[in-house]
Amino acid sequence: MTEAATETRDPPVLEISGLTKTFGDRIVLDGVSLSVARGQTVCLLGPSGSGKSTLLRCVNWLETPDQGAIYLSGERMGIRKGGVVPMGNGELARLRMRMGTVFQHFNLWPHMSVLQNIIEAPIHVQKRRRDEVIAEAEALLENVGLSDKRDAFPSRLSGGQKQRVGIARALAMKPELLLFDEPTSALDPELVGEVIAVMKTLSQGGSTMLVVTHEMGFARETADKVVLMDAGRIVEEGEPEVFFGRPKTERARQFLQRYVSA
Amino acid sequence: MTFNAFLSLLHGAGVTVSVSMAGIALGVPFGLVLALLRWRRVPLLAPLTTVYVSLLRSTPAVTLCLLIFFALPVIGIEIDALSAAIATLALNTAAFNCEIWRSGLTSFPREQVEAARTFGMSGTLIFRRIIFPQLWRTCLPALVNEMTLLIKSSTAIAVIGVAEITRAAIRIGAQTYDPLPPMLVATGIYVVLVLVFVGIQRLTERLYGQAGGAR
Repeated sequence: MTEAATETRDPPVLEISGLTKTFGDRIVLDGVSLSVARGQTVCLLGPSGSGKSTLLRCVNWLETPDQGAIYLSGERMGIRKGGVVPMGNGELARLRMRMGTVFQHFNLWPHMSVLQNIIEAPIHVQKRRRDEVIAEAEALLENVGLSDKRDAFPSRLSGGQKQRVGIARALAMKPELLLFDEPTSALDPELVGEVIAVMKTLSQGGSTMLVVTHEMGFARETADKVVLMDAGRIVEEGEPEVFFGRPKTERARQFLQRYVSA
Repeated sequence: MTFNAFLSLLHGAGVTVSVSMAGIALGVPFGLVLALLRWRRVPLLAPLTTVYVSLLRSTPAVTLCLLIFFALPVIGIEIDALSAAIATLALNTAAFNCEIWRSGLTSFPREQVEAARTFGMSGTLIFRRIIFPQLWRTCLPALVNEMTLLIKSSTAIAVIGVAEITRAAIRIGAQTYDPLPPMLVATGIYVVLVLVFVGIQRLTERLYGQAGGAR
């Protein structure tokens, strides 16, 4: 009966179930389950070292989880059908292509101009037509307010500009899911706003986003769901009004006291 | 020193330059291949590379040259002097180039590679589009330095009778009983050669040293 119900419904864009990851004898992720539905923005909060970034790295298989499963629109990540054999690089690439990642330290390619950074993967990985990709990249640059930086190199940009290029680069792949790994943590406080503004527009425009962040304001105003992690586990998840207004757990109360009042 | 003597020195310079260039043209990419084998920790080949590098680095060019020219025929490989000379320089410089490329590879920012991987880029694509365009720029000064060392050590090939600069100078000195002029000219030629290499490096750095210009 439940089988039939799940079959008729659209699978969530991202479904994580029972994910476990250890580094040596340190347990970084301890049975994490989470799902992100199409069009949702989910914010992952938590103190540093709670496993948020590792969770993101597992989602695009930069880290191989020890146990559990990750599904991208119903397709198992990293493991072939049948559930035992790990995927080859080509198969992994095909799935990774469907997610766009925005990094804390931008990770732009310094030898390429802003435009080249954006069109690199669409042209060489997705093998799309160059003129078409360039036209789209220019539109994306316009959306993030950087049309005038088209031919600049990353070293000439401010942190906020770099991160907006990072977002445009991720969007150029037309991903089903956007992953943000602390996108504003490396920025000067006065540059945070411009990046947050772009992310808000994306969220309102219907993008599916999983965002690791310390920006409580963004989480409160934009998220459909807020998830608090601590010591590799999800301690509380819920709608932002509930999470920020009437947290259910003591751990969430502690966390909010420290981060929101600070 | 006669005009003919000067000509034979110039001829020697031509030999030094062409043999060195051939050695560089073979040794620089070969060194990169070795470095990649070690960097990717290819089973079997990576440890072999380590042995190769330490053996070649501890063998003087003269000894290597004699070994190639006189020992290869023993195992049935006939080799002429010029080929033996080029092989000597290429094999020798490859070992040093391997270490230069490898240090460039190990210090290459991981995050850039990870970003490329999350965009679905394959290993070869990442190397070709992301790593190599930056790698050669960081390695260039050290590579050119090794090239100038190669030019100077190329005189080792005189031992198997290849008439390069120094050998030509010695022969002229022996014929005229006046070794000073040919030796001074020979020294001058080496200086010019090395300066040309360094000049080309500077120019390349100025053209491509800025992040710009990658294509």
